[in-house]
Amino acid sequence: MPRVSVIIPTHDRPQLLTRAVDSARASAVDVEIIVVDDASSDGTAAACAQLTGIKYVRAERNQGVAGARNIGIFESTAKYVAFLDDDDLRLPGSLDMQADLLDQHQNAGFVCGAMIMADQDYQPSGEIVRARHAGGDAFWELLELDFPVMPLCTLIRKDCFSKVGLLNRQVTSIDDWDIFTRIAELYSVIVVDEPVGVYRQPTPFSGQGSSARAIQLQLATRHQLKLLRLPRAAAAPLKQRREIRRRAIRRVSENLVWNAGAKYLPQGRFSPALANVAVALRLDPLIAVRPNGYKTVAKKLIEKMGVR
Amino acid sequence: MPKASIIITTHNRPHLLPRAIASACASGQDVEVIVVDDASSDETASICQSTRGITYVRLDRNQGVAGARNVGLVASRGEYISFLDDDDVRLRNSLDEQIEALRQTPEAMLCYAKAIPGVASGKKSEPYPSHCPQGDIFWKLLVRNFIPCGTVVVRRACVSRVGLLDDSIPGIDDWDIWIRIVELFPVIAMEMPVIIWRQSTPASAQGSSRTVELIALGRRRFRDHWMKLPRAVNATRAERHEAWRAFSRNIAEHLTWETLSALRQGQARRGLTSAQTLLRLHPGALLSVLRRWTRASTIITLMTAGTGRNDLANAKTRFKQIRSDAPRQ
Repeated sequence: MPRVSVIIPTHDRPQLLTRAVDSARASAVDVEIIVVDDASSDGTAAACAQLTGIKYVRAERNQGVAGARNIGIFESTAKYVAFLDDDDLRLPGSLDMQADLLDQHQNAGFVCGAMIMADQDYQPSGEIVRARHAGGDAFWELLELDFPVMPLCTLIRKDCFSKVGLLNRQVTSIDDWDIFTRIAELYSVIVVDEPVGVYRQPTPFSGQGSSARAIQLQLATRHQLKLLRLPRAAAAPLKQRREIRRRAIRRVSENLVWNAGAKYLPQGRFSPALANVAVALRLDPLIAVRPNGYKTVAKKLIEKMGVR
Repeated sequence: MPKASIIITTHNRPHLLPRAIASACASGQDVEVIVVDDASSDETASICQSTRGITYVRLDRNQGVAGARNVGLVASRGEYISFLDDDDVRLRNSLDEQIEALRQTPEAMLCYAKAIPGVASGKKSEPYPSHCPQGDIFWKLLVRNFIPCGTVVVRRACVSRVGLLDDSIPGIDDWDIWIRIVELFPVIAMEMPVIIWRQSTPASAQGSSRTVELIALGRRRFRDHWMKLPRAVNATRAERHEAWRAFSRNIAEHLTWETLSALRQGQARRGLTSAQTLLRLHPGALLSVLRRWTRASTIITLMTAGTGRNDLANAKTRFKQIRSDAPRQ
């Protein structure tokens, strides 16, 4: 039985896949690489036939990322599973390091590392994103959207899925937040500062993740109502639940305003900027008149300029 | 590694579970029985932990039947996979026979058979479905789910190719995955019973109250997913139209039955809801149903069944047989 499974869902990107598979192979000694081809219509199958030592699974009909990841979990025989996107990279030895931590902490559900941001050619931009959490019980922070967990940086104990269920296909694009919150409800979380993966950032003009991001955040605020019904959250006093809801909505709308003001407007991209502001106003109409809304944006702006 | 896995999902039914487990263990030579406890709040856990020879998986958060079956799939290791409900019983050696049939037909991915509807009192009636079509059954299965879930044995390889069960459609999740399988692969059917159903009796009214809800769900699924499958998209308009018509006719029959049985049990509100749904969805289909129902054989069956209240479930089964025997245009 292998120790770690790396599940790589892929769809019509054979030119990037090879690199992701190679990085996964170097990330642990005893690793099982499962490539889930989500009904690709191009040369993905042929490209995978060239790769040795992988388990190639083909879904004949498109399942979406969450569905493909679930197929990967079904195929996996290891004790721990990691998700890797076909355009991201895992750092050498990173999975072994994370698996050791899960071995040591039997009550931990997943371990989360840092990631190196890179451009489209995998060149590091110098920015390293670390988890904003000390570890331990992370349920409330996850529920509040205060602790973003990237699947790329995470190694999950597979037993968790048989306690909380598999990934939810109904919430595409935030299925990762959903599953990490459900796991954190019952398990503790380990956070390490070392980088474990390379994230290939979308270029400002690739279109990917601009207005899609606004929709995603809107979906997240809607889905939070469901997560608030998880037994542990439901048992909390009403006041606390209301506070969590309020803070999450405020955080999301501030984030949207920040994206619009600091990212899209300087580039002269008015339509995603408008989409962001529109969503923010719909979620939190008072943001326009509340000084705090601008305070955070201003603070972030100063921070950003200070970094430069 | 075991040859086959039987996945039993259970929720708060410790009185029925041991019978299902024992029957699953005896259904084949090299079989792994996986019990997925969908967050039961009673003594299910202690019963399972004291049962030897099973793999016990306990969900801490309720996932519904489909979610629990998916967790069972992840825990399973067998090359052949079968689902069993906690209130059903697998017949002795039945799994081995079905696996043998699949071995002899390498291109088939799924094998199903008949179920014996056993009323809770222990009385048995004729197996369902009375006729089991095989080979390419895509268009037939779209119209009505005639595959009893517990009788199905699938190859492990086909689960990854069509995807796991969809947990957003409780009640028709099994139908949905069978459709995705038969869209791509031929199936084999065995004209023999392999499980005993614990059928709903008038008193337990299990499931029947959800009929209207299920029908709405099924209609949405049909239009938004099944008709979007490449096989349906590439078919002619006439074929799609005919499938939809047959599907609607079947729903109309079902709703008519539901209305009458509710009225007979004196549940006026349930009857009214069904009748309303029927008239709203298929005002035209009502006529064709009535025409078919006025056939002498149907009336006689219904009348003989109507003599005793406890025979209602029996009558329903007989009615189902009549329906499945009726030639489809």
